[in-house]
Amino acid sequence: MKQRPFLGWFVSPAVLVALGLTAAMAAILQYSVRAYVPGSLDVGGLTLENFTALLRPLYAWAFWGTILLCLLTATFTLILAYPVAYALVRVRSKALKSFILIASVTPLFLGEVVRTYSWMIVLGNNGFINSVLKSLGIIDRPLQMMFTTPGVVAALVHVTMPIMVIMLAAGLSHIDRNYEKAAESLGAGPIRRFMTVTLPLSMPGIVAGFSTAFAWTFSAFATPQLIGGGKVNTVSTLVYQLGFASFNFPFAASLSLAGLVMTFAVIALMKRAMRPVERLGEQ
Amino acid sequence: MLTRTDIATPAPSLSTAKPVVQLDGVTKRFGDAIALHEAWLKIAPGECMTLLGPSGCGKTTLLNLIAGFLDADGGEIFIDGALVTETPAHKREIGIVFQNYALFPHMTVANNIAYGLKTRGVEAGEIKRRVDEALALVKLNGFGDRKPRQLSGGQQQRVALARALVIRPKVLLLDEPFSALDKNLRASMQIELKEIQQRLGVTTVFVTHDQGEALSMSDRIAVMSAGRIRQIAAPQDIYCRPQDRFVASFIGDASVLSGKLLAVTDAVAQVAVGSLSVEVPAASLAGLAAGADVDLFVRPEHLVPVDGDGDATAPSLAGTVRTQVFQGGHVDLYIDLGDHAAQPVLLRSSAALAPSKWKAGDVVRVRPISADLVAFPKQDD
Repeated sequence: MKQRPFLGWFVSPAVLVALGLTAAMAAILQYSVRAYVPGSLDVGGLTLENFTALLRPLYAWAFWGTILLCLLTATFTLILAYPVAYALVRVRSKALKSFILIASVTPLFLGEVVRTYSWMIVLGNNGFINSVLKSLGIIDRPLQMMFTTPGVVAALVHVTMPIMVIMLAAGLSHIDRNYEKAAESLGAGPIRRFMTVTLPLSMPGIVAGFSTAFAWTFSAFATPQLIGGGKVNTVSTLVYQLGFASFNFPFAASLSLAGLVMTFAVIALMKRAMRPVERLGEQ
Repeated sequence: MLTRTDIATPAPSLSTAKPVVQLDGVTKRFGDAIALHEAWLKIAPGECMTLLGPSGCGKTTLLNLIAGFLDADGGEIFIDGALVTETPAHKREIGIVFQNYALFPHMTVANNIAYGLKTRGVEAGEIKRRVDEALALVKLNGFGDRKPRQLSGGQQQRVALARALVIRPKVLLLDEPFSALDKNLRASMQIELKEIQQRLGVTTVFVTHDQGEALSMSDRIAVMSAGRIRQIAAPQDIYCRPQDRFVASFIGDASVLSGKLLAVTDAVAQVAVGSLSVEVPAASLAGLAAGADVDLFVRPEHLVPVDGDGDATAPSLAGTVRTQVFQGGHVDLYIDLGDHAAQPVLLRSSAALAPSKWKAGDVVRVRPISADLVAFPKQDD
């Protein structure tokens, strides 16, 4: 402590926050093993019934659906964010670089609900896409996009883009340009250069971005709730319905815990599976 | 591969052979700054041409222009007789060794070396044969399965060299290849690289800021400063007959004596320093009239102490020893010559002169002995 006299003071706020979070987690844990008393906010005695109930097909499907939604979102986000991150890192003009950075990061400051509402305006039956397509005479009945999985994915991709762009850009900026120059001098054209050098070397950023996007989407609530409108069920929306429509706090708590464990499990699996790929980029 | 006949270059005949690399007035600007001003350069087959200069002199820019990583703003570049000014780097058939080697970290040594062969569509068996040959050339047999990070700096450099040479490049470009190595390794790698370069007879452009490297490695040196090529000549000529002040002071150590121009006859000029009179080439003093102030450049080994024995009558300059520095094989004496030199002059003498012979404060008489003295118009710093 002598060398770091203020360590205690500096750490204390973090300790307070950590204590608060731990207490909240403990409360959820506690709720999850209590019996549900219909018609009452109070809970009953200890039970494991809440966890066995998770095995019912409705909830098993919700988990599967959520994972699929997360994978879809993370994949599309990756595909769309990679070129943006690449441009952000490689563009020479300072002005263009700032523009890309601002354009890709500002959505972060808008808040999920605002962004989701804007997507409702775009995707709705009388929304932007449908009116354009109608006025061009391509369709005569509106395409159903609201309350569908593709609609939810589209909005979630937008929500997840900024974080993915930032993580990919961080990865890309660590690639020494001389690797690409070396490949170029050895006769590799732009496409071969990208596939054999840039892409493998950006794998650490891709793995980090993909995992984060996955976890980010798993916990997303407002977007699937508003755009899915109850037709696209995810773990988060089910927790909300159970907790605040049925007031079944114990079951909502067990579902939340299961979601948390599931996220950790999937990310651990993904890390595992991607380890050889990630190693490609080691320096 | 990798035999002299294979790469097919006869012994370089610098004046007559068709140049492998030719730059005709190549200019490069970065914004308003001129990084390279009308560079004219011809590099003969098998020649090792060094671009030497301080940082920011344009040598790396010139290298990048030859490689195709930069586009010229003026002038033309020819490689092997073909105009390549507009040709992208990946079609120029060049091999490069980068300062940090830039070995692909995600590939094995063998795959690094094979990279340039794969892009050329060489078939697998042939690739394996040539990779093994290249590994043998740089004495790294059996290292093919390692990753670059498992190699030492010197080994990484060998791999980088093998990777650049295995494609049988028309030109080998070396961008400060030794700067990341420690001093002992650097010396041995220089010798080895020089041997490989000569054995293969591969035309080489070598960029460095280290004059020792340049003098020992090159057939010819292009000395650069502020975006211009100041002189292109063989190492001995650069050292003994520098064309301008910059070259004279950048290459090797040189002391500056203040002299007066006595007379000019044809190619030779007489310069007086105190009671001394020496002959220098007249070309560098063109346009000066007798009586003008000139700066005489003297190499440290061209300045000798005048001992009491024998030639004490020869004209010499009196000075005071400022400092003496024991350097192992020789002693550096810094001698204050009063009005004859603004800075103490450097006299380099073999260790036989024993540290005890001269000490600070001693009065010595010195005189220049070489025929290779040069003088330039006086410049006030």
